[in-house]
Amino acid sequence: MSVADGIDVPLGDRPAAATRLNWSKLLPWGFAGLVFALCLVPFFLVLAISFGRKVEGAAWVWDFTFENYQRFFVGTLWPDEVTFLYIGQLGYSFWYAVIASCIAVLTALPFTLLLTRLRRSAQAAWLVFILSSLSLSEVFIVMGWDILLSNNSGLPALFKSTGLTQWLKDTGHFQTLRDWGLANPRNVKFKTSDFATILTMSYLVWPYAVILLYPALSRMDPSHSEAARTMGANNWQVLRTVILPSVRLPLFGTTLLLFVFLLGTYVAVTVFADPAKHTTAVAIYQNVRGANLNAPFGATMAVILLVSAGICLTLGHMLNRWAAAR
Amino acid sequence: MPGLVLKGISKRFGGVTAVEPTDLTFAEGELTALLGPSGCGKTTLLRMIAGLEAPTLGAIFLGSVPITDRPAHKRKFGMVFQSFALFPHLSVRDNVAYSLTIAGTSRGEAATKADSLLDLVQLSGLGDRRIGALSGGQRQRVAIARALAQEPDVFLLDEPMSALDAKLREDMQVELRLLQQRLGITTIVVTHDQREAMTMADRIVVMSNGRVEQVGSPQDIYHRPENAFVADFIGKANFFDGVTEPGGVRVGDTLLTAEANFLEGSPVKVAIRPERAGINEGPGPNVVPATVTFVRDLGPMREYHLDTGLGPMVIEYAVGEKGEVLTKGETTEVRLPPEALHVFAVPRAAPAQKVAAE
Repeated sequence: MSVADGIDVPLGDRPAAATRLNWSKLLPWGFAGLVFALCLVPFFLVLAISFGRKVEGAAWVWDFTFENYQRFFVGTLWPDEVTFLYIGQLGYSFWYAVIASCIAVLTALPFTLLLTRLRRSAQAAWLVFILSSLSLSEVFIVMGWDILLSNNSGLPALFKSTGLTQWLKDTGHFQTLRDWGLANPRNVKFKTSDFATILTMSYLVWPYAVILLYPALSRMDPSHSEAARTMGANNWQVLRTVILPSVRLPLFGTTLLLFVFLLGTYVAVTVFADPAKHTTAVAIYQNVRGANLNAPFGATMAVILLVSAGICLTLGHMLNRWAAAR
Repeated sequence: MPGLVLKGISKRFGGVTAVEPTDLTFAEGELTALLGPSGCGKTTLLRMIAGLEAPTLGAIFLGSVPITDRPAHKRKFGMVFQSFALFPHLSVRDNVAYSLTIAGTSRGEAATKADSLLDLVQLSGLGDRRIGALSGGQRQRVAIARALAQEPDVFLLDEPMSALDAKLREDMQVELRLLQQRLGITTIVVTHDQREAMTMADRIVVMSNGRVEQVGSPQDIYHRPENAFVADFIGKANFFDGVTEPGGVRVGDTLLTAEANFLEGSPVKVAIRPERAGINEGPGPNVVPATVTFVRDLGPMREYHLDTGLGPMVIEYAVGEKGEVLTKGETTEVRLPPEALHVFAVPRAAPAQKVAAE
C-alpha cells in the first residue's frame, strides 16, 4: 500500500477553489472601481457642472454652455469689453504658490542637510516632531499666525512696546516698510500683506518639504562633499557644485509638489492677502459655498485650476528630462 | 614638496579613543602604508591628515608649517576615497578637472590638463563618458587622476583597491607604485591588506587599537616584528606559549634556545615564520619530533601541518627548495633555528631593562 492510498481526496472542494479564484480575479477590478468612484466621478461631476448655467435668484441648471469659461478668460461682456479679473486671480494663485514653495524648499534644504548629520536618535526625534506638526490643520496654523501678526497684538505690538517702531522711524527704515506695504503711519503692520500670506503659506508646507527632502539627503554619500573639500571647494562651492546637482531631482520634485499643493490654499489667503489679490481658490469657495452661489462658475474655475496644475507638472517633468539629458 | 610630521596627534569620539597620541614623520617623496585591521584608527588618522577630522590633541606640520587648523580645502592634499566618490553628475573629464575649475582655471585649460592626466592613468579618449559607464578599475584611475589634478603636496589614498577584484587589485598596486615613483609625491595609503602594503610601500606603519605598533620598511616589519601582533598580522607565524629560562624559553617539556631579554620565569610568546623552520635538517639546537597531520600543495608552495611537542605548527617549502617530501601520518623532526625565533612579551611579562630600572 502506498502513502497515497491513505489520502482521501474530497472532490467536493473543487467548486470552492474556483470561487476563491474568481474573487482574486475580481479584487483588482474592485479596487479600480473604487478609485474610479472616489476620484474620477467627483472630477467628472465638477467638469459637467462647469458647463452648467446659473439661474438668477435660484440655484443652477445642467446645460452645455461655454459662458463660464468665456467669463473666466475674457469676462461676460466679451467681445464688447474684456476683463481679466479671474486670470489675474489665477496669476496670484501662481505667484503665491511659486514664491512660498521656493522659500519652503530653500529654507528646508539647509535644515534637512544639518538634520542628516545628527545622530540617528536626534534625527528620529526631529522627524517625529516635524511629522506631528503636520497634524495641525491649516485653520489652526493660520489662526496662530493671525494672532502673531495682527495689528493690535503680536509682532506689531511688540515692535511698538520695545521701541523698535520708533527706532525704525528714526533711522528712516520705517518709510521703506511703508513703501512695501508693511507699515501704516503709526506702526508696522503685517495684515494684509503679501509678506504675511507667503510666510504663512511657506510655514504650512515647510514640514512637507523637510519630509520629502530627507530621504534623498540622508542617502547622499558624504564622501562626495569631502572629496570636493579636499579638491579646494569651500562650503558654498560644495553646496553649489556637488550637493545641489546630486539632489536636483528631489529638490525639483518637492518644489513642484508643494507648488501644486499651495495652488489650492484657501484659509491663509483669505486671512492675510489683500482682497484685491485673492486667489482662484478663494474665488472658487465664494462661488460654490459663499455669497455668489454660482456653482457652475466655481466648477469652471476648479477645472481650470486643475488643468493649470497639470500643465505645470507636465512642463516641470519635461524641463527635468531636458536638464537630465544635458 | 616637504614631508609631513604628526606630533602627538590623537582623536577621541566621545568616550572612545580612535587614535592614541601618535608621533609620525612621512618623508618627502616616500610612499607610506598605514596598515592594520578594521577599526584600528588608520582611516581616522588619514582623515585628520586630510583635514576632514579635527584632532583632539596634537599638531600636524607640512615641513615646518603648522597646518592643524587649516581647513581641508586649503591644504592642497589630493585624496582618493574608498568609494572613489566620483561625481555622477559630471563627465569623466569634468570630474578630473574639478579642482582646476574650483581654482578658477579657464575651461579650456582645465580640459587640456584633465586630458593629459587621463593619458597618465591610461584612460585617453574616455573624457566624455559618464561615471556610470566606467568599470571599477577605470573609476579608480579617474579618482587618482582627479586627486592629482591639483598637484597635491601630499597624496592620500583610503583603501583605494578594496572595490577591485583580486587580479585588477594586484595590477593596480604595481601601477600606482610606478606612478607615485614617477611623480615623487609624498603618499600615504591606508590598507588592511598586508600584501598590498608590502607591494607598494617604502615604509609601513602597523596600527592596532588606535596605537602605532611598529614603523619600518616592509622587510623590517616582516623579518623583525616588534611584538606578537605585528608578527601575527604581517604574514603567517607559528606561536607557542612559554616561560623564559637561562639560555632560552621552555615550551612544555622542550627548552628552546633563543635570545630572550626577559627576566627568568617571565611568560612569553615564541614565534617563527613557517618558511624559517626546517624538516630533517640533521642535528642542532631546537630539534623537536613531529607528525605530519595534513599536507597542502599550493603549486609554488608546499605546506606541512605538523603536530609537535610544542603544539601544532605549519611549515612552508617553496618549489625548488630542498626538503623531504612527506605524507600525512609520517613522523619527522622539525628544526627551529634560534636566529629565526622571535620572543615577545605577553601582557604580564616585563622587559628586563624596565624591571631592572624599577
